[in-house]
Amino acid sequence: MAPIAVGDVLPDGTLSYFDAEDKLQQVSVHSLAAGKKVVIFGVPGAFTPTCSLKHVPGFIEKADELKSKGVDEIICISVNDPFVMKAWANTYPDKKDVKFLADGSATYTHALGLELDLGEKGLGTRSRRFALLVEDLKVKAANVESGGEFTVSSADDILKAL
Amino acid sequence: MATNILRRAASSVITSKTGSLLTGTSRRSYASVAVGIDIVSAAHGVSLQKARSWDEGVSSNFSTTSVKDIFKGKKVVIFGLPGAYTGVCSQQHVPSYSKNIDKFKAKGIDSVICVAVNDPYVMNAWACKLTAKDVIDFYGDFDGSFHKSLELGKDLSAALLGPRSQRWSAYVVDGKVKAFNVEGAPSDFKVSGAEVILEQI
Repeated sequence: MAPIAVGDVLPDGTLSYFDAEDKLQQVSVHSLAAGKKVVIFGVPGAFTPTCSLKHVPGFIEKADELKSKGVDEIICISVNDPFVMKAWANTYPDKKDVKFLADGSATYTHALGLELDLGEKGLGTRSRRFALLVEDLKVKAANVESGGEFTVSSADDILKAL
Repeated sequence: MATNILRRAASSVITSKTGSLLTGTSRRSYASVAVGIDIVSAAHGVSLQKARSWDEGVSSNFSTTSVKDIFKGKKVVIFGLPGAYTGVCSQQHVPSYSKNIDKFKAKGIDSVICVAVNDPYVMNAWACKLTAKDVIDFYGDFDGSFHKSLELGKDLSAALLGPRSQRWSAYVVDGKVKAFNVEGAPSDFKVSGAEVILEQI
């Protein structure tokens, strides 16, 4: 699968999470994104530093600013199971409505063409670090890191695209 | 029921070694692990990833620990569970071992090991959260190869966990399995806790 790019239609897929009542739920990406302006950012792994200390906090910090520019949903996805995503999300005391969704089997990451083999680091198949701006299922910005850097996929970069 | 009576009778009348043999036989269902097997040969060439932070991973060049180094020449109690941060694993299985650590040390156990099909960074964060990191060694079997080699893998896709493992425990001396317990279902917590295996050592 070629990596998702500007102009593409966001593929549909199923992600999972624990709701406010701690029940396991599955949600279709299209049901979250159709007719809306959404930011989806992906990280290689919960509990790893750039993801935990830079990427996620950036989006939480800028959540209000993103919302003021018309963003309806800010979604963080990772190839982790929903139990791990819930625990990781809970390490951020104020998530400012950033949704942490699990792509446990990497199926959705694969549909986006953004998978990355991090087996030698003990992670297995994961996602590249990326951030997408999607308006009514049309990709308006697709910032994908080529390696382990954190240069194009931050909240500030998405704000520039709005 | 019968196996419980057997186990109680065995542990009170016969030596613990024979008792564990009887328990091992009753538990030997579909896994290639059984009392008497050499875990190092069964999991030949397999490595685990010690729970660590990413920075520790970088500085160690993402090194792995071979099964041989974990078991050879040591008395080890090892338990495996379906997943970090999940209910029974967090609330019952790990605590049962962490609160009994002194009893294990008193019986000459070199290390108590917890392993799950998770990456080592998740295992590390979870171990810290359970404040169990200084008493139990946590290892990640990130690609499931350790559990697969012992036929202890289990597909938990229905619980949105994907390929994981059974819930099990074993007492291993110099690589030889002396006692082995596996739950009938991964959500059970009847035979794989610390109290059971302490009786088998």
